[in-house]
Amino acid sequence: MLNLGLLTPDLVLAGLALAVMLADMVLPPSRSRWLYHLAWVSAAGVLTAIVLGLGKPATMGMGSLWVADSFSQFFKMTTLLAAVLCLLLSLDYKALPARHAGTFGALMLFSTAGLMLLVSASDLLLVFVSLELVSISSFILAGFERSNPKSNEGAMKYFLFGAFSSAIMVFGISLYYGAAGTTKLAAGLAAPGPMLILALILIFLGFGFKASLAPMHFWVPDAYEGAPTPVTTFLSVAPKLATFAVLMRVYGTVFPSAQYELQALVALIASLTMTVGNFTAFFQDDAKRLLAYSSIAQAGYLLIGLAVGTPLGLEGVMMYAFVYVAMNIGAFAVIQAVGEEGGYGLDAFDGLSKRSLGLALTMTFFLLSLAGIPPLAGFMGKLYIFASAVEAGRWWLAVVGVVNSVASVYFYFRIVHRMFFRGTRGEPAGLRVGPHVYGAIAVAVAGVLFFGIPPEPLIAGVRASAHLLP
Amino acid sequence: MLSLIVWSPLVGALIVLMTPKEKVRAIQTVSFVAAGVALAASLTLLLNFDRGSAAMQFVERWMWIPSLNVQYLLGIDGLSYPLVLLTAFMSVIALVGSLGIKERVKEYFFWFLLLEVGMLGVFAALDLVLFYVFWELTLVPMYFLIGVWGGPKKEFAAIKFFLYTLSGSVFMLLSILALYFKSAPHTFDMLELMKPGVQSLFDPRFQILAFLGLYFGMAIKIPAFPFHTWLPLAHVEAPTPISVILAAVLLKMGVYGLLRIAYGITPLGFAWFLPALIVIAVINIVYGALCAMAQTDMKKMVAYSSVNHMGYCLLGIAGMSATGFSGAAFQMVNHGIITGALFLLVGVIYDRAHTRDVSAFGGLALKLPVYSGLMAMTCFASLGLPGLAGFISEFMCFLGAFSAWPWPTAISVVGIIATAAFFLRMMQKVFLGAFNEKWAGMEDMTARELISVMPLAVVTVWFGIAPKWPLDLMNKTIEHMLGK
Repeated sequence: MLNLGLLTPDLVLAGLALAVMLADMVLPPSRSRWLYHLAWVSAAGVLTAIVLGLGKPATMGMGSLWVADSFSQFFKMTTLLAAVLCLLLSLDYKALPARHAGTFGALMLFSTAGLMLLVSASDLLLVFVSLELVSISSFILAGFERSNPKSNEGAMKYFLFGAFSSAIMVFGISLYYGAAGTTKLAAGLAAPGPMLILALILIFLGFGFKASLAPMHFWVPDAYEGAPTPVTTFLSVAPKLATFAVLMRVYGTVFPSAQYELQALVALIASLTMTVGNFTAFFQDDAKRLLAYSSIAQAGYLLIGLAVGTPLGLEGVMMYAFVYVAMNIGAFAVIQAVGEEGGYGLDAFDGLSKRSLGLALTMTFFLLSLAGIPPLAGFMGKLYIFASAVEAGRWWLAVVGVVNSVASVYFYFRIVHRMFFRGTRGEPAGLRVGPHVYGAIAVAVAGVLFFGIPPEPLIAGVRASAHLLP
Repeated sequence: MLSLIVWSPLVGALIVLMTPKEKVRAIQTVSFVAAGVALAASLTLLLNFDRGSAAMQFVERWMWIPSLNVQYLLGIDGLSYPLVLLTAFMSVIALVGSLGIKERVKEYFFWFLLLEVGMLGVFAALDLVLFYVFWELTLVPMYFLIGVWGGPKKEFAAIKFFLYTLSGSVFMLLSILALYFKSAPHTFDMLELMKPGVQSLFDPRFQILAFLGLYFGMAIKIPAFPFHTWLPLAHVEAPTPISVILAAVLLKMGVYGLLRIAYGITPLGFAWFLPALIVIAVINIVYGALCAMAQTDMKKMVAYSSVNHMGYCLLGIAGMSATGFSGAAFQMVNHGIITGALFLLVGVIYDRAHTRDVSAFGGLALKLPVYSGLMAMTCFASLGLPGLAGFISEFMCFLGAFSAWPWPTAISVVGIIATAAFFLRMMQKVFLGAFNEKWAGMEDMTARELISVMPLAVVTVWFGIAPKWPLDLMNKTIEHMLGK
């Protein structure tokens, strides 16, 4: 049954992306900011439509090429939320060339649409196609500051690593096809054996690139550093979380990693990712690079939930994913606000509390939340994930997780230290922050506080959404 | 009522945050009102507090996170109520001491009030997650209070304090989670977890592991040897009022947690650990005193004396007798008051001389009679002179431990001698002997300093002469804890 209606939001968004592109040709250059507004309003509109349509029964479409279950709706919401906030940030980002505003907005929407398809996909073919849609848009977005050599370098690295990992993934998919005779993701089609396991591992590694898991993380710091800040923000959140959604679909329900004895591998990668991310972040002097490594570490925490694989673990991943949107985008928004004036070196944060106490305090909130200090939302997410590890008796994983959380405080507080303990260079001058950045920060602060102090609504939402269609 | 006590400083903190930073007077007034409301409310509880009952009183119970069965559960008994009183009281005292803060006043009072919320919450919370949230809530404000307003090595001291304490508390969190999943039905409620029905689910091996996680978190806070190394640094670098809070309240969180949670919920693990605990107590007492003796910086000396005094608490606890437990609980209060006063007094002289080196002074007793008198009394109280508060509780700790652990207790007595030695030597060098003419212009204590120290001195004498009143508050609960 061709049930294209299930993908209406995704297709509408892709259509709107085209509309933004077309509008670019019609609008005079002086009005180019309208295109950003058009873009974020489109994403917000689709988000509203999805929220309003929540609670529909889950169904499959086109020979189960895609599914629209509450799980995919959940991750579509996180993706769209991230897209809206990042497009708001780009409104106040000066380095973007005005005459390419339409292209930028459209590419953001295309990659968002790709991510939405990705979380709905229940067939490796669709997974691959949508992943390529995301990747190609992101490669261009990462290199959008054409005159900035770092942006070019980052985009190039991103592209080369991306192509490489796509190849690995395709190889994995072809093996899967060999074992199962189809690319459909369903249990019982493929005979368990070395070929299937090899296929699963290769596909996992391909996803690992997108989710920035160690040791497939080498592109992350360079791409994040070079990309325009709103794009960095987007890359650090949306593709990563959508990839986790697919990982959960494949390795959480269809091929439970415990059945295929992949748990040890996943747990090992989780520990490695956390440790590499956190301990490399110690030595960074660039705020974007620092948060890049932090986001690698965060992927490691998320992977704990997957490695545990129990319902509690999967709920933990969803919960942490949602919270992560708020706190990571918030932190990047402050970095953008500060970095636009003083550059992205950590010394730009010197004496920020004297220039703008409010901004310094909110940044502290975001960093504390990322570090998992209560009563902020990040703590509740981590509590959930560590709880799942404890429940399943995977003590060493929980211990690695908490030790890493402690270590992460050290580098997060290097920023706090500069904001509160250092003086400014010269007279403390006020900081000019664009209204849209303020808007994004306000949403993020609200998320960090609201999901931290009364986390029940979020937990209830996650529980209701944690039903996957196989 | 307990919610009022816990949250009124938060309301104050938010008002402070919204006040323009130039309005220093307004900020100070708001802080005093907020802390004053907490103190007044905790004092009014005295009227209704039933000393004859060991049950939790003034219990407030709401569901906080139903899906995980986390409750907003507050309540106090004879163990926690004196500590709530102590916290509210010492906060006001430290606020008086904070009036001397001139830099970044708004931020200071904001963090201070936030810290008070965390401290009060720790003692009032009866749900483990809530407890943990309050426990961690003290870290960030303390980091800023040390790091911005502290001494020369403040930044290092601040981050060391933060990381050290956090690394302990995350293991405590894992233990809490383990207890949750082992109990049936899953609960974070401390009182439920102490009930025999739930207790029977915890086998000894599990209890030992859970205890170790809990103990690791508490031991760093207490601080018990060998996790005490953050303390001298943090106490010395912190500004005076914050040293007061650190010594008077923050260390008590560890001992309180050990008694309430580690002993209450994992008694078998606690019993298994006892032989180690007594050794740690003895090391804390003797080693702390010897370290204090080696210091020439007065503040550092007082800081190490805290390590020594917390050793008495541990000794009393290790005795596992009603006398020992009461002694430990009473010692917590007394140490808070006495050491708080000591830090304030050291701060007084530092403000004038800008040095705390004992050998820089001499013969101050002639020049500063009031100051010298107060200092002498507080030192005597701290070294355990009969008639003052410290003696009663220390004596009870020794008495409680003696029947179970005669030899370790005997060794600990050496600690008392060392304590007496370093306090007397300090007094001799600073107050007696030839007057150092360098300090000819030094003035005696100001009204503000007197206001902050006098209440503590009065309480020290009062508890020394009439210890029955505070001990009566605790007795029933302690008997109940020991199952009598």
